[in-house]
Amino acid sequence: MVQAAMTRGREARDAGGFQQHKLAPYAFISPFYVLFAFFFLAPSLIALVLSLFRWDGINDPRFVLARNYGRLLSDKVFAQAATNTAVYAIASLLIVLPLALVLAVLLNSKSLRFSNVWRAMYFTPVVTSTVAITLVFQILYNRDIGLLNAPLIYLGLEPIYWLGDRSWVKVAIIILIAWRSTGLLTIYFLAGLQSIPEELYEAASIDGASMLQKFYRITIPMLRPIILFVSIILLLSSIQIFDEIQILTNGTGGPANASMSVVQYLYERGYTRLRLGFASAVGTVLFATVFILSLLQLQWYGVFRKED
Amino acid sequence: MGERFGQRLGVIALHVVVISGALLTVAPIAFMIYSSFKTTTEIFTLPPWLPPAVWSFKNYETLLTNWPFPYWYINSIIYAAVVTIFVLFFCSLAGFAFAKYYFRGKNLLFIVLIGSTMIPFQLILIPLFILMSRIDWVNHPASMIIPWMAPAFGIFLMRQYIQAVPSELMESARIDGASELRIYAQVIVPLVRPGLTTLAILTFLGSWNSFIWPLMVLRGSRVVTLPVGIATMRSQATASQIPYGEMMAAATLVSVPVIALFLMLQRYFISGLTIGAVKG
Repeated sequence: MVQAAMTRGREARDAGGFQQHKLAPYAFISPFYVLFAFFFLAPSLIALVLSLFRWDGINDPRFVLARNYGRLLSDKVFAQAATNTAVYAIASLLIVLPLALVLAVLLNSKSLRFSNVWRAMYFTPVVTSTVAITLVFQILYNRDIGLLNAPLIYLGLEPIYWLGDRSWVKVAIIILIAWRSTGLLTIYFLAGLQSIPEELYEAASIDGASMLQKFYRITIPMLRPIILFVSIILLLSSIQIFDEIQILTNGTGGPANASMSVVQYLYERGYTRLRLGFASAVGTVLFATVFILSLLQLQWYGVFRKED
Repeated sequence: MGERFGQRLGVIALHVVVISGALLTVAPIAFMIYSSFKTTTEIFTLPPWLPPAVWSFKNYETLLTNWPFPYWYINSIIYAAVVTIFVLFFCSLAGFAFAKYYFRGKNLLFIVLIGSTMIPFQLILIPLFILMSRIDWVNHPASMIIPWMAPAFGIFLMRQYIQAVPSELMESARIDGASELRIYAQVIVPLVRPGLTTLAILTFLGSWNSFIWPLMVLRGSRVVTLPVGIATMRSQATASQIPYGEMMAAATLVSVPVIALFLMLQRYFISGLTIGAVKG
């Protein structure tokens, strides 16, 4: 009798435990999905619908079908912002990525002394406040009294109008991007380098391979997944660039929109001018671009190939 | 002998390149700190390594008296701390579920989770802001906290750490009659402290340095966070009277504590950044 009661008790508890075991994971992951649905998915859908309307946030929205998109594609400022953003992205891929890769190889070298100290110095920009450092660069870029022009002025040459010239302003921003992100990418590459078996290099040395050959024949192929990962990160962060340009150009994206990024354009139209439908169209185009670029990039690196 | 000489030359060249790059990297930060003790004229005086005529904390004093700087600082600390606490809890719970449970729809749910990290937040900037104004969260602390409490990357990160915990520990706790939540709190959490530290650092830093969102949702000189407040120091000044010295003092106060923290906890920081790259 007592035995039976105990068994029943244990069964009940097991059943309870079993139920709990089944339901617990759903309870544990639910905060993410609730927040995701409410603050991410819902706004995305709102954006999609809103991009078909004209709305200032006060009066009633007016349905305009695809007119926002038509206007966007013929808008000169948008074309400029898209071009600028592409320039930042391409410069990041062609300059920052190779720079970080070479730096990682150098920092990984066994003959380098005090490697930890140099690493820490290269990584500091990753944690430094963007706003703070951009204000510093603004001082350094000053045309008449800035530090970067000092050598030119000293030599009697024409100083560079870093923040006032349509081309130089992009160079100024790319330098800032390089300063901010090289260290971060180096962290990724260093992690990747650690996973390359030492024997590969030793075997290559026995075969008489030079440093450069080892770099091209071993390091680069072995790092391919990391290079893919890093270039996606770079591309996504280039497309999102806002803080640096907003501060460096005092919110103008100037001179004459020559440095304006797409997000800055979106911010200006949507937030400052309250053209909410139009800005939603910008967001949707941006979304489509990111999506297509990611797929193309994955394909380029052969992620979809069956046998690798 | 010639070969060994060449090798030594190579090692020297390696050091020259690495060290000059490292110095160039920290130079702007050094310039910032150094300038915070100078007057505006001295900041632009060449060469930049000339010391100020008088070493003084004048810029720091005026920063604290002329600007609501202490408010910005406190706001930033509170937001970063509160967000971090929520993130640690929600991400470790969800990471635990993905690492140690089998449940229906797990794969699909995980794909949604990973997919969401690929999409830049700026894409929903305007509609999220519209949503905030509809539910009256503009200039409300909730807008700075609630949407950011369970980031997908944090869940992914915690999943990676929790996967390394042996499942037998869980099983034996379960046989002892421990509830699932108890297993989480008493078995999992103590074993993934390094992961939690890493996530805490990354989250705190992200919140501390965030700019565009607080720029949009916070209004009023005393309610904004540090980056937004410092940006207004520049944007509100007339071109001839930009308070460069005070700005450099503010920039120093916002970045130096974080850099110091990074130097102390570098190990956690780097493992957090790379765990996704190498394993994922």
